[in-house]
Parts: sequence; structure tokens; C-alpha cells
Amino acid sequence: MKAYASYFSNKLLWFLVTLVAAFLLNFFLPRLMPGDPVAAIVARMAQGMTNTSGVQAIYEQYTELFGTNLPMHEQFFLYVRNVLRGDFGYSFSQYPRTVADVIGASIWWTIALQLPAILVGWIIGNTLGVLAAYRRGGFDKVLMPSSIFVSNLPAFGMAVILLVVFGVTLRWFPTSGGYGFDMIPNLSWDFIWSVIVHYQLPFWSIVLITIGGQAIGMRSMSIYELNADYVKYSRFMGIKDRQIVGYVFRNAMLPQITGLALAIGTMVGGALVAEIIFSYPGLGSTILTAVLGGDYPLISATTLIVTIMVLIANFAIEIIYGFLDPRIKAAQSD
Amino acid sequence: MMRNKFIGLVGLLVILSLTLGACGAPATTTDAGAPQAVEEATQAPAEEAAAPAQEAAAPADANTLPRDETLYFNGQQWGSVVGWNPYSSSNNNAMAISQGDNARVIMFETPYLYNMLDGQVYPLLADGDYTWNDAGTELTFKLKSAAKWSDGTPVTAEDVAYTWATHVKYNTPIGAANVDYIEDIVAVDPQTVVVKAKLDDAGKAVNPLLVAAYVSSNYVMQKAWTETLEARVGDDATAFLADPAEDVVYSGPYAKYFADDSKVVYVRNDNYWGQGPSMWGKLPAPKYLAHVIFKDNAAGTTALQAGEVDVSQQFNSNVQDLWLKDNLPISTYLPEAPYGIGASLPTAWYNLNSPGLDQVAMRKAIAIAVDYPTIIANAMTNQSATFTQVPRSLMNPTEGEQAMFDHAAVADLQWAGNDVEGAKKLLDDAGIVDSDGDGWREYNGKKLSYVATCPNGWSDWQAAIEVVAAAGKEIGIDITTNFPEWSVYQTVVTKSDTPLPEGYDIFMMGSNGAGPTQPWGRARQMMSSEFIGMPSNWNGNFGGYTNPEADALIQAIPAETDPAKLKEMYTELVKIYLTDVPSFTLMYRPQSFHTVNESVWTNFPHEGDGTNPPVPPLNLTDGWSIAGLYNLTLVNP
Repeated sequence: MKAYASYFSNKLLWFLVTLVAAFLLNFFLPRLMPGDPVAAIVARMAQGMTNTSGVQAIYEQYTELFGTNLPMHEQFFLYVRNVLRGDFGYSFSQYPRTVADVIGASIWWTIALQLPAILVGWIIGNTLGVLAAYRRGGFDKVLMPSSIFVSNLPAFGMAVILLVVFGVTLRWFPTSGGYGFDMIPNLSWDFIWSVIVHYQLPFWSIVLITIGGQAIGMRSMSIYELNADYVKYSRFMGIKDRQIVGYVFRNAMLPQITGLALAIGTMVGGALVAEIIFSYPGLGSTILTAVLGGDYPLISATTLIVTIMVLIANFAIEIIYGFLDPRIKAAQSD
Repeated sequence: MMRNKFIGLVGLLVILSLTLGACGAPATTTDAGAPQAVEEATQAPAEEAAAPAQEAAAPADANTLPRDETLYFNGQQWGSVVGWNPYSSSNNNAMAISQGDNARVIMFETPYLYNMLDGQVYPLLADGDYTWNDAGTELTFKLKSAAKWSDGTPVTAEDVAYTWATHVKYNTPIGAANVDYIEDIVAVDPQTVVVKAKLDDAGKAVNPLLVAAYVSSNYVMQKAWTETLEARVGDDATAFLADPAEDVVYSGPYAKYFADDSKVVYVRNDNYWGQGPSMWGKLPAPKYLAHVIFKDNAAGTTALQAGEVDVSQQFNSNVQDLWLKDNLPISTYLPEAPYGIGASLPTAWYNLNSPGLDQVAMRKAIAIAVDYPTIIANAMTNQSATFTQVPRSLMNPTEGEQAMFDHAAVADLQWAGNDVEGAKKLLDDAGIVDSDGDGWREYNGKKLSYVATCPNGWSDWQAAIEVVAAAGKEIGIDITTNFPEWSVYQTVVTKSDTPLPEGYDIFMMGSNGAGPTQPWGRARQMMSSEFIGMPSNWNGNFGGYTNPEADALIQAIPAETDPAKLKEMYTELVKIYLTDVPSFTLMYRPQSFHTVNESVWTNFPHEGDGTNPPVPPLNLTDGWSIAGLYNLTLVNP
């Protein structure tokens, strides 16, 4: 048990160090970008204004409101204080909306699209990968090349193909939006159905790509494990096939689980491509707009969420690994 | 075995969801080609926003907007609506709040409506034409007695006066923009408004043009509601402008119905005052105006093809293919190229502080060598008049503006482009030659190289600026291109209190479109030196051009009323502009793109549609074009 405690505290320490470093980067990196985001707001305000003093007054009013007139370190401490209170401030690009409001409005669309897509893609991909490794033969010969092909398609390519084939040509699915262009959100079957229908193309554009990559990875891992000495030895010992498959699966899964955790950690970053091609609501395009517009508070908040989620996912994995695979714990606590 | 069952289950789910999806496919749409990959960002403002999840206004009756009662738009609303506060310019609520030359008047109303086709203004809240006093210092107009707010109270002169006082008190953009020209707006009696011009030392109005433009460019807000807002924010100017104003009182025919991340819907106010005989005599045809929020032009075009958009205010690349190739019931204001009426002049500006660009010969040589037909054919897919059809000046292609100058007097100064030999000769004559034989000309012993720039992602501008760069190479000037992000670009270009940095030798900006102060406003934008030194200059003359003669003309025109004199002055300005070439127009661009799909609604404005006064192609929302909403009929009533 002592080994576990030492392993755990070691991981926790590194978790905190990484968090602090990431937090610093989240704050400072966006602010090192060229361009003055407050100028963009003033631009909206000042169009058509011809008096110098008026423009200057507006500029000063907003630099004060957003605190961009303060030295960087003061801004940082203000930011830390506010973040600890759960206040991410105003979004520059969507002023006067707050960052919390902006994220709150889009994040559920993103999670609802990404989480099932990642899970389904992961499960199908890994299952296909294991099958290919076991069955070999024709199944493998078809699956491998098609997986490689699909996983190497750029995401926008897959999205556009689905859009053109199933949306524009066959007209099986709508081409844009999160729900019917003529609907108002409500709790009716019509509306729920509309959401389901609009969900399909963005969903599959992510799933198909995920499947390919996962299948290739899982197939290689499984083949490697199937040839490992312990498998041969187990067979020699007369251990049942099912039990051996269990060992193999468990060992081959480890890297795949890491991949899954990272995917889930980064999913809040949004499915930018699917969102743009299908005009689907979500955080991805919000973040893109924020980056292009130098919207520091929004960039910092979204990257902070991504950072924390990735760190938590990693931390959880490390801890679970400790239990799952004694080799890792042993190696780490030496 | 578990595994096999699981695979079976997943397979089943896959098939099920695909099949279900297929059954539920929307039964709309006609044949549509692959979505255009051309991303045309010019209409997508950089500071566009994602949406606020504003609560649904709990539609009691309709969960689905009836197609035959709803008019769908695209290209106006990018990102989600942030607020409903007509005092603020940070609402990102394009359909409802857009004040200016062709103010959008579906929710809030201006006293007058500007019509870009005939250059006239028509009364809306106002009753009859406005009049100037003899001294030209006071503009008076009356309000219609029928004009009412959405709460049923009358629109009074006191509302107009209080709106102005509020703009000034809180230093709103509109207040700040006009305070140098308008002294005060006062209510003489409940129906009569007097706008008092700011006077110069000689006792004359500083700028009567801008005073008159105020009454067709800016909304009237209700005094009572404004006071409610002031009380709510405790007179704090920042909070005043940041208030989302969900409770706003309005006078127009439409108001908020629903808004979220995906769309914004406006519903008709069936008690709208304008249905009376003093204004329209009926209600506008569509009960709902809806705008789905698309994330790029390609998605908007696909929806237009599918019949999910009736009025398209976005650049649809090769728009003629929609009816010629796809056989869709889609049309533009003009049946042939340029398909719309050009109103603004996207322009390449010279940084006059760059070495060599202070020389007229250099500026003119580059400008006359540029291949404009290629820009118009490629970047605009012919949705711009050519410079042979409408020779360059400071005026847009509308008839009204073209009549403002003497064409013959400037004819030998105009150019249509592709004049490589002429450009070379100009440079040779000016002694700007290639003396070391490396193929590039030198100026003051240094190889001539410039950077031409425009914002990244603005694909039509990028295509245009590449053509400018190519022209440089033809005449021995090394022009390279650079495309920074808009957020950076706009900060740099509008900072006129310091010289432009490296990388901004030739750069693009748009120009004023059609409006009651044009073409004066555009001439001022292109040439007036008054903007040099501004820390945030959104007005013009970004390249730092100075010409006292031009300044004097720009100063004098607003007070001039004699048409012959005006024409003379404008002709002189055009001459100076085409001689000095501080900037050069690359194409003409419509005020709004206006493409309509007549699957559901018909009787949209088209050239020669017989409307009198003619309804301009401004999406049935801007200025006088809102008259078009009253003319719409259903294809299948």
C-alpha cells in the first residue's frame, strides 16, 4: 500500500506543477499575440466618428473596463483572483456577453456531439482492430487499407463528402444547423426528431475518422500481444483460449485507453470542422473567433477548461494504470 | 461471445440511426450542386460572435414557423445576437439594429427613409418633407400623428429630442459622431422637431449635409423607456451601453420572437401603426422574419439552393449558375452581370510615407498596370461593373452619383487597366529605371519592393491584391503579398497618429456605399487630411494623403446648394483624385448582395419592376427597401 501512496503523491505533485505552468501559459500566450483586441471593440463603436477626442475617450473607457491598461502582472493577479471566484470576465469579441455566458451557451452542443462520437468511434474502432488481428485473412485485408484510407482523410474532406453525398445529392439529411431551420426549440417529438436528424452528419463525420485510427492502432497492438511469449506460454500451459484473449485484450488496451482519455480531455476544444461545414452550434467556432479576434478572456477560459480536462484525464489514467498494470507502478516507484 | 454480441449491437445501432436519419430527411430542396468552396469573408465581420442562449420567448402557438408566413434571410447575422439595445453598437443584432445611411428599420424607425436608387428620402415617422430655415441653420420636420410605440403611446417630438440628448449624455457612437455638427434637437410641440445645426464662426452651419443625413440614418427611441433604462443602470455610461435591453419599446413592424445560437426570429407586431393610411396602408406580408446563423458563406449558399433562404445578403460565387445551371427559381436585381447595383468602392490605398510611393508617377504606374478585368471576373465572379462600363472616379455606379461630375472633363485621366506599356513609360520618364540590370527598377539607388496586404480569409480581396502584385512584376516593381489576420490588420491600418509600419505599402479598405451624404462622404474618405493624426481612424485617408486644394473643396461642398457649382466642385475633386492617385479602386461592390429564391415568396424588387418610387435591392430591410416587404406575395397563396 505504501508503494501506491508514494506513486499517487508523486503523480499529484506533477499534476499540480503542470497545472500551474499551463495556467501561466493560458494567461500569457494569448496576450503575446499581435493586435489590440480593445481596438476591435472601439472600431465597432467608432465607425463614423470624426472627433479624435471622442474615439480616444471610448478607447480609454474600454481599456479600463477590461483592465488592458494595467501592467501585465497586475492583470494576471486580477485574473487569478477572478478565476478563483469563477468569474472569467467579459468576452471582448462578444462584449457585453460574459465568457461564462458564451461558453455556457455552446458547450452542451459540443459535448453532446463529441462525447458520443469519440466513444462510439473508439469502441467500434478497437473492436474492429481486435477482430482484424484475430481473424486475419480477408477481413483484415479489407479492413486495414480502408482504415488507413479513412483515417488519413482530412476531417473537412470527410465532412464535405458526407455533406455532398447524403445532404445535397441524396437529400437524406439536412445540410446545416443543430435543428430544423424552421423550428423553435421546444420539448416536442418533432423537435427532438429534428435534433436527431441534424445530428447524424456531423456525428458520423467524426466517428468515421476516429474508427480508422483506432482500428489500426488496436490491430497492431493485438498482433504484437498475440505473439508475446506469455501467450505462447499460456497456450503451452493449456490455459483456455478465452482467458488468454482476456490477457491480450487487457494489455493491448492500455495505449488505446490513453488515447481515449486524451480525446475526451480535448473534446471541449470543439469539433471545429464539423461545426463549420454543417453550421453546427458549438464551442469550436467560438474559440476560433476568439483566437482571430484576440479575445483573451475567452481564449484563456476555454484553453483552461481543455487543460484541466486533459490533466484530469491523464491523472485519472495514471492512477488507474497503477491498479491495472502493476508493471507501471513498479517502474514508477523505483 | 460477448464481443460478437456487442459488435452486432453496434452494427444494429449504426444501421438504425442511418435508416432513421434517412427517413427523417427534410422534404425540401431542389437539386443543388456541391457547395461552393469559395469562402468569402467580406461580409463576415471579424468580431462576429457566437450566440447567447437567450431564452426562447416561449412561443405558445408555433413550434415550427409556417413556411408560407416566414421570410428567411442569410448573410446579415453572423454569430449570435448579443442584445436589443438601440443605443449600443455592440448588439451583434444586424437585422434589428443597424443605423447609418440605409438604416435597417424592421424594429426601430428613422424619421425618413433613404432610397439609394433615386437619392431621395421619404417620410416614415415624419410627416411630409423636412424644411430648412432661410439661414440654413435649422431643419424642421413634423411627426405623423398616427406613429405609435409598441406600447400604444404616440411617438412625439419629445422622444426625438430625448434620443439625441441621450446620445450626447452617454457619448454613444452616434452622439460622438454628430456632436460636432448638431447643436441640439428640440421639440417645439408634440409633433414638431427642430434640428439645430452647429454653427461656425461665420454663423453658418458647419455641415448641413450631415445634419440632414441624421434624420434618415438614426432611430428614434422612446423617452419613457430610455428613462427606465437610465434608472436601471444608475446613469453609468458603460452599463447603459452594455444593457441587453430585452424590454425595449419600439415603433417598427417587427420585434424579437426568438434568438439562440442557431437563429434569430422576428415576429410582426399586428398592431403596427404603419398599417394605417398615413403610411403603408397594410401590414408587411411575412408574419416572421427569420435568419439562420450560418458559419460560412458555403453553408449559406447551400441553404439558398435548398430553398431554406428567400433573401440572400451574401456573396454567392458565380451566382448566375444558380439559375442557368441549377435551374433554380433564384434571381438577382439585374438579370445579367453585374447582377446588382454597385455602391461602394473597395480600394487599394498607398502608404504615402513608403519610399517611392510619395511619387505620383510610381502610384499611377502601378494603378494603370493592374489587370482589373481579371479582378472583376475572378474575385467578384463578375458581380461588379467593369471600369469600361463605369469609368473610375470617386462616384459609385448609381445614376445619381454618376450625374454629379462632368465625365468628359476627366475622361483622359481615367484608366481601365492593363496598361503595362504606359506604366513603364511613366516610370522611365520619371527616371525610375532598372540601372543595375536585375530586372527590378531602383529608386534612390534601392531596388523597389513593396508589400501589398489585406486581411486573411477575405478571399475576394486577397485575389484582388494578388492581381495588384502581379502588375508590379510586369513593370519591374517587386510587389509581394501579405495577409495578416483582420484583428491585427484593422488595428494597424486605423492607427493614423503614427506612420504605417513595414508591410503596409499597399493595403485594401472598403469605402462608403450609397447614402444621403454621398458622394461627398466618399470623397472626404478618400482624400481629406482631417483624419491624419487620429488614434483610431475609421473615417478614411489611411495612407496619409494631403492636398489643401482637395481639403478646401471637401470643406465647401456641404454648404453649396447650387447644382451646377456642385458639379463643378465634384469634377475638380475627381480630377485631383485621378491625377494624384492616393489610392485606386479595384472593383465596385453592391451596398448589399441581394439574391432571392422565389420558391415560396415572389414579387421581390427587380430592375424595372414598376414600383414607384423604385424599391432598391437592399434585402427589404434597409431604408426605403423595406417597402418591398409590403409588396411580397406567395407563389402558392
